[in-house]
Amino acid sequence: MNESLLVEVEGLHFSRGEKDIFRGVDLQVPEGKITAIMGPSGTGKTTLLKLIGGQLYPDAGSVRIAGEDVHRLSRRALFRLRRRMGMLFQSGALFSDLSVFENVAFPLRVHTDLPEAMIRDIVLMKLEAVGLRGAHKLMPSELSGGMLRRVALARAIALDPDLILYDEPFVGQDPISKGVLVELIRTVNQALGLTAVVVSHDIKETLSIADYVYVISDGQVMAHGTPSTLNVDQDARVRQFIHGEPDGPVPFHYPAPDYFTDIMTGRATS
Amino acid sequence: MSRERGGRRWRPRNPLVRQVVALGRGTLNVIDALGRAGMFLFLSCVGIPSREGWRLWLRQMHFVGVMSLAIVLVSGLFIGMVLALQGYTILVDFGAEDALGQMVALSLLRELAPVVAALLFAGRAGSALTAEIGLMKATEQLTSMEMIGVDPLRRVIAPRLWAGFVSLPLLTIGFSVVGIWGGYLVGVKWLGVFEGSYWSNMQDSVGFVTDIGNGLIKSLVFALVVTWIAVFQGYDLVPTSEGISRATTRTVVYASLAILGLDFVLTAIMFGEIG
Repeated sequence: MNESLLVEVEGLHFSRGEKDIFRGVDLQVPEGKITAIMGPSGTGKTTLLKLIGGQLYPDAGSVRIAGEDVHRLSRRALFRLRRRMGMLFQSGALFSDLSVFENVAFPLRVHTDLPEAMIRDIVLMKLEAVGLRGAHKLMPSELSGGMLRRVALARAIALDPDLILYDEPFVGQDPISKGVLVELIRTVNQALGLTAVVVSHDIKETLSIADYVYVISDGQVMAHGTPSTLNVDQDARVRQFIHGEPDGPVPFHYPAPDYFTDIMTGRATS
Repeated sequence: MSRERGGRRWRPRNPLVRQVVALGRGTLNVIDALGRAGMFLFLSCVGIPSREGWRLWLRQMHFVGVMSLAIVLVSGLFIGMVLALQGYTILVDFGAEDALGQMVALSLLRELAPVVAALLFAGRAGSALTAEIGLMKATEQLTSMEMIGVDPLRRVIAPRLWAGFVSLPLLTIGFSVVGIWGGYLVGVKWLGVFEGSYWSNMQDSVGFVTDIGNGLIKSLVFALVVTWIAVFQGYDLVPTSEGISRATTRTVVYASLAILGLDFVLTAIMFGEIG
């Protein structure tokens, strides 16, 4: 690839207890693009974001952001790197004891010495960008799920980061707020020239905004390509996932002993 | 700290070997938890607080200290009253009811105030701290704070630790004062002990360093242990509703056991030679 890469993941291995979550994952996130990571539930997509953010340690392999190995940085250097990253959590993860305004102001207050008037201007600009300037006095408990995520987005871009990580931005949203979020992610990305990593299993929404897509399954990258190439991919597993077929290479049934013997003898349950 | 490490478990077939493995793994887990708790305490406490840090600390002083005031003072009053009542019935048989003030004051200052206040504090403030931090963890607030580049140990944990460490000794002093007054109400006002002997016997026998000082040292130790257990259990828990309930229970159980066990050790060191 010719474009410069912001995030490089190489040979990533990670396991939890008995379970292997990643067995050698390689990913490349080019600068200024939206890269989507997709896969069935339980494939560790969120875990991957936490590995990229340096919150989890891999068993093997490396994650490099702007050339720096995230897991070899000191605690202080890691925190400095994270100021250049924004992350949007599935739940929004707003601070429940602060108002909407203070939530968005939080990164500005802790990382800059800007005067109060300027903080106010920046916060209102960011809230305006997500359409919630009018809600700046509300507490997080007074917001709907979609609004929470938009405020969280405003907070994530408060410091104008280089990289933004979206964790399942569309999950549990009604069609309208899904549409709003898709539009927001796209415009925020274009307006600020951000690099974005979107983790999701909402096919339609994700394919509509992504420049490049990685599909992860069984701890490995199963397929990758642009949305248009994935749509016509002939691999059975990719097709099942992209087109949402209930049964296929990923079986409908959890592994179980033979149905007949299980019912008739009751032996299998003990 | 918050960086977990993935790992694979080894499960041998031989039952004997498996027991040895379980024993070793258990020991390692305990050492690992102690190490994490120690690093956790160290990373939270070192560093100079900013102006913002003082503000956060004051806020926590309110939640942890002021909010525990009512339960601690009311309990202190009752404990002082019961002490006077029980003490009187025994002392009066020997004609020694004049020593009631001494008895009430010494039991409170040396033992009851530090221990009972700490137990109440563990139940009232400790469990609340665990649940609050646990819920912040479960709703990813701690993670998002880390991703914003703010260390939750400094921002969330440290103010709470210091607030607990400062407020419990103050609560203990309040407990003693109210308890002595409760003993006065029952002993002097109700049972008719001579007021002059209640106070003067107390003044003669209570040493500032030996009794008040040692009581405060106990209370400082308990404050550190209880708050440490509470915030660590909150920070280290499994972020589910079941995990939060378990951690809250663990806070109260571990803190209570630690208070009573340490009380014996400290008493043996402080007052062991007297007898």
